[in-house]
Amino acid sequence: MARLPREHAGLLDTELNGLPQELRWREWMLRVEAVLFAASEPVSRELLARMVGRECSIDLLIEDISSELAGRPYDIVRVAGGWQFRTRPRHADVLQAAASPTTPSAHMTETEMLVLAAIAYHQPATRGTLSDIIGREVSRDVIGRLRELNFIASGPRAPQAGAPYTYVTTKRFLEHFSLETLGDLPAIEALEDAGLIDAVAATPFRDDDPASMPRMLDPDERDLE
Amino acid sequence: MVKKTDSIPPQIVELPRVPVWAIPRGAVDSDIDAAYAAGAALTALDQLVRTDADWLGAWRHRLALKAATASTKLMGRRENEAALRDAWYLRQGTDELGPAGDVLLAWRRLAARSSPPDAEMVETLAVQLGIAWSPEFEDIIEEVAELSASSLPAPFAAAQAAAAVMTRQPKAELLAWWMADCVLSMRMRWPIYTPLLGTQIHAPLLRFGDDRLRARPGSAEFGRAVCIAVALGAADACKLGVTLAAQAEKLRKVEPKLRSKSAAQVLDRLFNDDAVSGSFTTKTLSRWASRRLFERLVQLDAVRELSGRDTFKLYGL
Repeated sequence: MARLPREHAGLLDTELNGLPQELRWREWMLRVEAVLFAASEPVSRELLARMVGRECSIDLLIEDISSELAGRPYDIVRVAGGWQFRTRPRHADVLQAAASPTTPSAHMTETEMLVLAAIAYHQPATRGTLSDIIGREVSRDVIGRLRELNFIASGPRAPQAGAPYTYVTTKRFLEHFSLETLGDLPAIEALEDAGLIDAVAATPFRDDDPASMPRMLDPDERDLE
Repeated sequence: MVKKTDSIPPQIVELPRVPVWAIPRGAVDSDIDAAYAAGAALTALDQLVRTDADWLGAWRHRLALKAATASTKLMGRRENEAALRDAWYLRQGTDELGPAGDVLLAWRRLAARSSPPDAEMVETLAVQLGIAWSPEFEDIIEEVAELSASSLPAPFAAAQAAAAVMTRQPKAELLAWWMADCVLSMRMRWPIYTPLLGTQIHAPLLRFGDDRLRARPGSAEFGRAVCIAVALGAADACKLGVTLAAQAEKLRKVEPKLRSKSAAQVLDRLFNDDAVSGSFTTKTLSRWASRRLFERLVQLDAVRELSGRDTFKLYGL
């Protein structure tokens, strides 16, 4: 499990003052690697820091572990505010062929993916807004399923009759799709060009907002507005 | 008979304003001109920040809202001020804020701080501002501390803080603006930090060169850009102060007329936050009592309804 109870960390000799500097560093590296290996979700800096000495730089430590993994098919990557072991992207084909049931997302339906994408780009969005975007009713089941996968969570209530919930994506969503931030989502324009979405169908969250832009602009274009 | 005017109480007349000659009107071509304006503007703002006005909390949070609005625009998001306010005030309990609401949270945290951020804070800030973490960010803390202790004029220390962020991660522009504001407040020795530069990110006067590109943190003209942003931001902030002071004065005047037992609590909120939800309740204030109270306050012209809606109303100075 990723979450070691605090009291254990308290008993742990983190400073390792008895060891020569080189061995200390080696021991810290092993510890961090062990924690990451055993964890099922990204491990935060805060937690790793409790495993090692006060003066130890987690970033340098991870860099060293990472360079030792150079020849291996997996690596330590930074996702959604923590670190995690990941197989390298070039092995994706092999893993797909092996069809290892690694994550529940293997079973996501097309509608679920579509709704998830709509939320990612239009959050915070209500079920009503999402229905408008994808052009058909988004059922509570789909929302429930995405919630169950922990890809979405409730956002602020929308100021409409009935105060419906809006939905926003979670950290888990970023982790799963290997995004560090929402800014890493492909630009909407690129998706439009690829014919994957129809810009006209995509209604913004606030249709009463005169400043609403029909699409996202890239930073330089924005400068010339 | 000349009726004595009572619309502008004396203390409001005395509120500092940035002198007209220090507010840039057109392109500023020299660093000296910019620095001169910034110095004059900061003097006025400094006086305002150091008054013991009871509405400074509301003032700072409204500046945070403006900075957050400019920031979300920079991210390419479409939320305007009203949408950000909704995200913040219509959230309940454990609801997530969403990406735009998170940006507002980041600026509100600045507006409530009185000490420099630590490594952990910078890390959560990066998440809130939608910026990928870069390990070098940890060094920023030290650099910020050095800059705030340096003898550089505040705007230039702020510009250097922004540059320090940008050299480490060119995509971290919002964090750069946030840090610049943080260092500015630190160098000014303000008891509580004030979002100022962040409110001016898109000001037309911060565009330089033939192609009128926005000055980015870390660029050659950024020092001048910060000076201009300081002058413009301080002028806006002082103006906002005058508006809020007048509104606060009205509110204080009607206070004795309010019969609700919880009125003091509501007023305290109004003085200390950008807005208060119309459904604000406390142990002693029911939903209905709260609604009546706000309706009465609007009727007395002591607060404004900020959302413009008939439902889910938000009230503020």
